[in-house]
Amino acid sequence: MKVRLLSTIFFLASLTAMAFLVFPAPAAAQIEGGIFRTERTAVLIFVILFSAVILTYTRWAKQGKKLFIRKIAGLDAVEEAVGRATEMGKPVLFIPGISEIDEIETIAGVSILGRVARITAQYETPLIVPVRYPMILAAGQEVVEQAYTEMGKKDAYNQDIVRYVAGEQFAFTATVNGIMMRDKPAANIYMGAFFAESLLLAETGNAAGSIQIAGTARPEQLPFFVAACDYTLMGEELYAASSYLSHEPLLLGGLKGQDFIKVLIVAVIAVGSILFSFGVGENFKQIFGAGQ
Amino acid sequence: MGFWDKLANLDRRWIYLSVAISVIFPMLFVIKFPVEISPEARQLYNAVESLPDSSVVFLTFDYYPSTLAETEPMSIAALNQMFRKNMKVITMTTIPLGGPSIAERVTRMVAEKYNKVYGVDYVNLGYKANYVAVLKGMGSSIESIYPSDNRGTPLKDLPLMNKVKNYNDIKFIYVVADNAIVDYWISIVNAQYKTPVGAGMTAVMAPKMYPFVQAGQLTGLLGGMKGAAEYEELVGVKGTAIRGMDAQSLVHLLIIGFVILGNISYFVTRKKTGPGVMK
Amino acid sequence: MRTTLPVIIAFISGLIMVVSFFLNPQTTFLGNTEEEVLQWASIIGGFTLLLGVVSIVRVNSKTVGQRKKGWLFNLATLISIFAMAIPSILPVTSQSNFGSIFYKVFPESWGSLFGTAPGSIYDWLFNYLDSPMMATMFAMLAFYIASAAYRAFRARNAEATLLLLTAVLVMLWRIPMGEAFLRLFGDNIPGYINTYIMNGANAAVQRGIVIGAALGAASMSLRIMLGIERTYMGKG
Repeated sequence: MKVRLLSTIFFLASLTAMAFLVFPAPAAAQIEGGIFRTERTAVLIFVILFSAVILTYTRWAKQGKKLFIRKIAGLDAVEEAVGRATEMGKPVLFIPGISEIDEIETIAGVSILGRVARITAQYETPLIVPVRYPMILAAGQEVVEQAYTEMGKKDAYNQDIVRYVAGEQFAFTATVNGIMMRDKPAANIYMGAFFAESLLLAETGNAAGSIQIAGTARPEQLPFFVAACDYTLMGEELYAASSYLSHEPLLLGGLKGQDFIKVLIVAVIAVGSILFSFGVGENFKQIFGAGQ
Repeated sequence: MGFWDKLANLDRRWIYLSVAISVIFPMLFVIKFPVEISPEARQLYNAVESLPDSSVVFLTFDYYPSTLAETEPMSIAALNQMFRKNMKVITMTTIPLGGPSIAERVTRMVAEKYNKVYGVDYVNLGYKANYVAVLKGMGSSIESIYPSDNRGTPLKDLPLMNKVKNYNDIKFIYVVADNAIVDYWISIVNAQYKTPVGAGMTAVMAPKMYPFVQAGQLTGLLGGMKGAAEYEELVGVKGTAIRGMDAQSLVHLLIIGFVILGNISYFVTRKKTGPGVMK
Repeated sequence: MRTTLPVIIAFISGLIMVVSFFLNPQTTFLGNTEEEVLQWASIIGGFTLLLGVVSIVRVNSKTVGQRKKGWLFNLATLISIFAMAIPSILPVTSQSNFGSIFYKVFPESWGSLFGTAPGSIYDWLFNYLDSPMMATMFAMLAFYIASAAYRAFRARNAEATLLLLTAVLVMLWRIPMGEAFLRLFGDNIPGYINTYIMNGANAAVQRGIVIGAALGAASMSLRIMLGIERTYMGKG
């Protein structure tokens, strides 16, 4: 209850701060010799606000405040899928996307791999992780090895769990499709950045009869995963997955803060729409335009 | 197992065979329907058309050979429009695999048609790793990112590049891509340097770009082979996209047919097994 | 130390990028640092490509050496790598780097076969082998989408029916034949699809997903910078 009250106060305070920004409008022009890029003031305010909110919620989580996080069916299904693979004596296939490690989606994928590897290590289920870039090979091997070590299953770990298959997108796809058809994994988990290969992978996995769980922040690939997979994580659910699977309050606090900002953005959109409907939204628009 | 049950569990290889026939059939028998121009394609065409003759423009080849069928006709049509208006064209790519060769081949082919001279009328910068660094760096100096062109000639030896320093000297950026690079052209180049950006993309990527067109961050959009066909129609080039429209039409109709058939079998078999039972 | 140092490095690197975004590159050192750091990233990117080549050669030659199941495919991969790479890096003329040494041994007329210019071995292999193979894989999407649509597009409930109808309308709108067909029901139908489905519902949904994903990415970046999220470096 106290958290809800504090959230409401925080929300209203943030909204008021944003409303103050409307009048007067900030100077759009950049001062030639200045140190700061004044045209990016709105972005700076947003960054500070965003960080403050996330940190506040993380602190509350650390203090042991109860935070409600909605159920994400796709993530609840991960453990179930690994269990099914264990029963069938078949492997779990995990693909951390096909982008490089500098992509935040890939980092999210590798983080989830760490969580999944803990479950496969616990059940001693075989895990196959094909990757497209050597940098992810190194990161993936480190993450999986650590997971097996933490679960006390160091002996079950081998370096070939995470394997480099091909750098070219479709050569990678062809190789993974081959693994799906030959090894018939009981579960295929796709977490990260996917492109044109999304349907080629998911449809092959479907034909092989595997349970399929996908997660990506690429809106253009979501329809393909929705059509061919059993569960699909959309957009921010991918970034939330690692925290969700960890059940660590510290990580869940970040998710709650993120939701708070989302509500704030919805409010800003609503305010903007109302102001424009009454023909007085120009100053409001300038704040966000100047932030580019 | 009855007919409808069989249909509900149709072997996917029959579907593959039908798709193959639908692609091959229009190659043997041409059925031509007029291509209608979408507002987004017209916007892109008008944006290029309204630039003064001899303006310097960027044309990117941000696509892999795998999507040539959709993207190459866009590049060819755009080059025709640009060279016809005597524009100076700088091409580049963020794709290491094939990008530079495709840019070289396509640009040379269209340039020959208009008697354009390399180095004076067009330059191919080629590929450089790390697209974020490349896109940002060219805002200060193109030469700092590309000291030489794709053929290894230093930029200072190319007459066209002597009058181009950074994005300030570029009037329009025409991105042809099959990947998320357009997001970066928008968020880095258009947002930070204010250079107008228009894009031609594969059909699967295009829907994501509509919000950017609405927000004015993207000046026009071509989506897939249909978008390419629209641009060919606008420029007046009878290329492979217009020819490909027949095959695309038939496959779309086939998929719609399959969806209808699938639903009929679903309802018939559902009635038999009772409501709420899913096959 | 094994945990702390990477977190400190991640924090400082992230902070530099965030701070430099707000500083004037003309007047401040940090404003330029962002570009400098990105140049470093570009150089590291180049080395990563090399790392990839080393890794693929190592993995495949191991399989060939041990004659594991399917080793012939691995051998084909190795041959393909060198067939593409070696001719493309050999000197094109005697004036090129190492050209004077190379063309003392080989006739200079071979120069046109090397490098990446039109007519070279690399260009030939790329245009007539690699490109068609990639295009074939991409073209398989048409087959897969047909079977996925057949299986998934069932009018199970109201939402699924809406999805199905929208998909059919958009598919018709994207083909000249379909546009002509839609016009039979009204001249403005294709225009309505563009306005209400693509620029309306589609754009709104895309915005929602993109805003949510961007916030998720920003939140995750913050968690990484502050060392709260460390799974990606193998730490719980």
